[in-house]
Amino acid sequence: MSQGEEKEKLHVEEDEKHLLLDHNYDNIHELNHPLPSWWNAIFLVSVIYGTAYFFYYQVFGGPTLKEEFHTEYGRVLAAQTEFKKLNGVFSQSFYDGIVKNDGVKKGEEVYELNCMPCHMENGKGDVGPNLTDKHWIVAKGNPDSIHHVVFHGSEANGMPAWGELIKKDEVYQAVAYVMTFRNTFVKGKEPQGEIVED
Amino acid sequence: MSSPKIPTARSGRVESFSYDDEIVKLFVIATMIWGVIALLLGVTIAFQLADWRVNLGLPWTTFGRLRPLHTNAAIFAFCGNAIFAGVYYSHQRLLRARLFNDVLSRIHFWGWQLIIVSAALTLPFGITTGKEYAELEWPIDIAITLIWVIFAVNFFGTIVRRRERHIYVAIWFYIATIITVAVLHIVNSLEIPVSLFKSYSLYAGVQDALVQWWYGHNAVAFFLTTPFLGLMYYFIPKAANRPVYSYRLSIIHFWSLVFIYIWAGPHHLLYTTLPEWAQTLGMVFSIMLWMPSWGGMINGLMTLRGVWDKVRTEPSLRFMATALTFYGMATFEGPLLSIKSVNAIAHFTDWIPGHVHSGTIGWNYMLIAGIFFYLVPKLWDTELHSKKMAHQQFWLATIGLVLYIISMWVAGVTQSLMWRAMDDAGNLVYPNFIETVVKIVPMYWIRAVGGTMILISFILMMINLYKTAKAGKKLAPVVYESLPLDDSSLEPHASVHRKLEGWPMIFAVLSLIAILVGSGIEIIPSLVADKYVVKVSTVKPYSPLELYGRDIYIKEGCYLCHSQTVRPMAHEVVRYGKASNAAEFVYDHPFQWGSKRTGPDLARIGGKYPNMWHYKHFYDPREVTQGSLMPQYTWLFNSKIDYKTLPKKLSVMKQLGVPYSESEITNAVAMAQAQAKTISDDLAQSGVPVKVAEMDIIALIAYMQRLGVDYGSSQEGEE
Repeated sequence: MSQGEEKEKLHVEEDEKHLLLDHNYDNIHELNHPLPSWWNAIFLVSVIYGTAYFFYYQVFGGPTLKEEFHTEYGRVLAAQTEFKKLNGVFSQSFYDGIVKNDGVKKGEEVYELNCMPCHMENGKGDVGPNLTDKHWIVAKGNPDSIHHVVFHGSEANGMPAWGELIKKDEVYQAVAYVMTFRNTFVKGKEPQGEIVED
Repeated sequence: MSSPKIPTARSGRVESFSYDDEIVKLFVIATMIWGVIALLLGVTIAFQLADWRVNLGLPWTTFGRLRPLHTNAAIFAFCGNAIFAGVYYSHQRLLRARLFNDVLSRIHFWGWQLIIVSAALTLPFGITTGKEYAELEWPIDIAITLIWVIFAVNFFGTIVRRRERHIYVAIWFYIATIITVAVLHIVNSLEIPVSLFKSYSLYAGVQDALVQWWYGHNAVAFFLTTPFLGLMYYFIPKAANRPVYSYRLSIIHFWSLVFIYIWAGPHHLLYTTLPEWAQTLGMVFSIMLWMPSWGGMINGLMTLRGVWDKVRTEPSLRFMATALTFYGMATFEGPLLSIKSVNAIAHFTDWIPGHVHSGTIGWNYMLIAGIFFYLVPKLWDTELHSKKMAHQQFWLATIGLVLYIISMWVAGVTQSLMWRAMDDAGNLVYPNFIETVVKIVPMYWIRAVGGTMILISFILMMINLYKTAKAGKKLAPVVYESLPLDDSSLEPHASVHRKLEGWPMIFAVLSLIAILVGSGIEIIPSLVADKYVVKVSTVKPYSPLELYGRDIYIKEGCYLCHSQTVRPMAHEVVRYGKASNAAEFVYDHPFQWGSKRTGPDLARIGGKYPNMWHYKHFYDPREVTQGSLMPQYTWLFNSKIDYKTLPKKLSVMKQLGVPYSESEITNAVAMAQAQAKTISDDLAQSGVPVKVAEMDIIALIAYMQRLGVDYGSSQEGEE
């Protein structure tokens, strides 16, 4: 331990000499400056705000988090219902338009990005069913029924409702691409579901 | 040391004594060693988040196993040893008394190092309780309690033998630390052992979450804040040779800080199923905490009044002043983050690790560096080896930290806004969670670079301090003389608080009361009120196989990247499913709500994907989710389910109040095997080999498929 450590004199500013207390701990001294007024003010305001906030929300019937949620979610549900009403039903004319407009090629991209992880390349199936045979679990092998499954999903079979996840056009493009698998009988997952004859 | 002049009125025989600085040196050395390990682990896991391949494909090097090791090493090994070094050095001097007992000091030192080593030997192997910052298993919990008691005896024993009537503000903070950490650790670690390396938390669900975050938040308060404020109150005036700015402010901010801090825990649980009054208390007390926290910063920075030129030239003061500045920033950010509407955006995002590191690096590391640049030359009786090196260290650490904080702000806010973005049709704009992850990966790289700079800065400090110590001399301990304490030091006309400073044991009792008020009001209702959680009849206990899978989930640290609680917000309900209900978690010992969504929430994952999806995903997440950051869990495919542990696990759960029948406990193995067969038969249809039925992966899939199903499909509990 250095013996020279206390040689340096305690540094006290001229304007605070009168605030120096008679405290000494291992040569640590203490001044007694008043509390900064802004510190006092903010502390006081935070206590008043905190108390008022608590009483408003927990005692005097301010909206609960759940109530705020129900208001917000109600709006979202209404918008979703409207959306499903408009887009959830298959439209043959819209489908024909999509097919004409390079739908199969665009659908391939949609398929690769979204469907491939479960249905694999060429629709041979893995997590999801084989799309190239005559067997169908929910859909019936035509654009209308495939669109329904893609759009609304199949909760029981782990198929997500893609209508909520991808754009309207993309759903139709994916359907157009999946239709090209028809009766290609690629070797992959065993057939599942009922046989649907053409 | 020229001890303060001995009052003439004092009588008695002059006593000779010396200080135990050898124990301080030991703690200093341990701090440096564990510090570099903690930072190395931090940098490793930062790179793992930027590139999943850094997980190395080994169980014990995977993020979920290393992250608890990083946090435990940083908090309890690095900061812990630094606290003990600084406390033991200053405590003796402030009281003019040698530490109570040299043997206890050594038991304290070696016991603590042994605890850290046992953490390093258990956490990477998945031996964990699954509660953040309290992951160590029950035998280590007991060891921590014992060593903490030894620390307390040594500390209060020294107070009893003091030669200074009044205790200085640094010691007030030490007292609050010792008492509160003991209370927090014991209450949060109550658990029932299943085996030597496995236990289940006494609490479940909402209760467990409340107790855990009361602990977790106050570990920050009473392990990373109060002891360091105490150290600041000793080392800043010493290094600056300045009187402390305001004694009055010390009193006000000490008591307000200690009283208010303990209430703030529930701000970690905003928008969860914790009763809303407790959430609101957590929020408003956090806001009220802003000024008490800043009181410490003001008192530290204003103590430097008139000597700011020294802050430029003296590494010790420069680091301590910077530490206080970051402390001020972090304690402003904390109350801000606890405001419900801000929390709604920031919670579960990278903003939080950014906030945490402005505290642990900006405040704790910087303050420790400042203290050590003062302390090491004193202990080894020499000058600091290189000021230039210390300044290089300073800039590396500061720039590294700024990169860290800013990248995490950007990542956190960006991802959160993507999570909540919805279009006019009520659909999510970014429905695939992975889109929001890929977007922020560049920020993960910046953070990892920032972290590396901080690591390098620390290595510079190690070299600097090592060379300093090496150039030092070993001197015989200095002998001091002082009269024993007698009535002459009583101040009969002093203020009440001044008198209280002369009664340290009463002071300790009052601090205990101060922290018990908030703790009691928030926690006791959850433990005693029957109606705290309204039961829902469809929620049933986990099957034996699912329970086993849940233990794998905990073992692999899945909770560190995945939450299990859907907040009542439209975008969360659209993304994940029905908002969570407290009743869902009544059998969850421990709760697994998590605090960060590096990956998506899993509260409603059950039934969302086929078994085969999970099977492929655990083997290689990128096979089903391109761009995923999740590590591979290939070892789960060839480690066998240890069925024979099941009856014991179920019976411990029964002890904890989970309604398993005797026949379920007896038939646990058969039930689990039957369920495993169902899953593996399903997988076999996709060509998975039948022998997989015996493997851990099946149990984990069983757990995944159960998550959120009971309540998710129920009509009960809706409001």
